Amino acid sequence: MTVKVYALSTCPYCRMTRKYLDENNVQYDVTEVDLLEGDEKAAAIDEVRTVSGGTSFPVVIVGDEVVVGFNKKRIMELLGL
Amino acid sequence: MSDETRAIRRRFVPGTTADDLKAYMAPFVATLGYKFNTEQDFVDEVLASELEILEATGDVYCPCRVRTGDPKEDFKIICPCIPFHNEQFAAMRKCWCGLFILEDVEDGAELLGVIDEPEPGAAVDVPVCRIDDLPRGQVRHVKVGKSDIALARVGDEFFALSNVCLHAFGPLSEGVLEGYEVMCPWHGWRYDVRTGGTDHPNADVKTYPVVVRDGLVFVSVTVR
Ligand code: SF4
Ligand code: FES
Repeated sequence: MTVKVYALSTCPYCRMTRKYLDENNVQYDVTEVDLLEGDEKAAAIDEVRTVSGGTSFPVVIVGDEVVVGFNKKRIMELLGL
Repeated sequence: MSDETRAIRRRFVPGTTADDLKAYMAPFVATLGYKFNTEQDFVDEVLASELEILEATGDVYCPCRVRTGDPKEDFKIICPCIPFHNEQFAAMRKCWCGLFILEDVEDGAELLGVIDEPEPGAAVDVPVCRIDDLPRGQVRHVKVGKSDIALARVGDEFFALSNVCLHAFGPLSEGVLEGYEVMCPWHGWRYDVRTGGTDHPNADVKTYPVVVRDGLVFVSVTVR
């Protein structure tokens, strides 16, 4: 199962989420949207809007499921942790 | 956002400290029915991020939201951004970041992390001001979600009705309140603040239930 995380470098929940995934040895791709520039940034924001319906962070994508915020319970369920 | 809110919103300069932010934000959010999260470490972490953002960008943009580069949009995520998102935040009982929680939340730790934006149709009581912010016999503008509302106080009763007069869209909150009637400042149409009723045909305005508790005035709305 692929896990993708859209995060902001400044956001405490993003840090908490990544720490949690790291501690559980989950492999994931992370995009720090605020560190991107120009078109790349716009594209990433569009993607976040499309999958999550807003611009709240982090957005964790597990397979087809999307979790917004550091929702530990939901992430645990989806990853079978 | 009411004009009062606009007036006291303040810009920060680089060199500001976390204590400066706290000293300004605590009374400001209290007028909106919020307080700092009870989790001190978390609060410190969010404020530290805000200060980094302030140094980098010149303003205290939200650490949990992305700046799109559109000044109008980005203005709505300058902390504390509660006035712009009060409907959503009241439903979640906290702001997106969780830096602020509704005043009656005892344990902010429970609200950390999860961001559950309300579904359309959900009923929510949105705090709009403290009782003492609105003197008897006065009416003021409050914004709840996307709705412009005139909040009127008659004695110790509070009433909420659409701020928009149906004659030519005058702002009822700038009108004069006489007893239970507010008179539109533009051409004098009168509305009963209890019912939104007027003598003019098919021109009644919408009213909203108001709840007063813990020194705060809440307007009950349905999330759109
Ligand atoms: S979501 Fe909370 S922390 Fe972020 S800008 Fe708004 S009030 Fe501030
Ligand atoms: S706009 Fe209100 S009376 Fe004309």
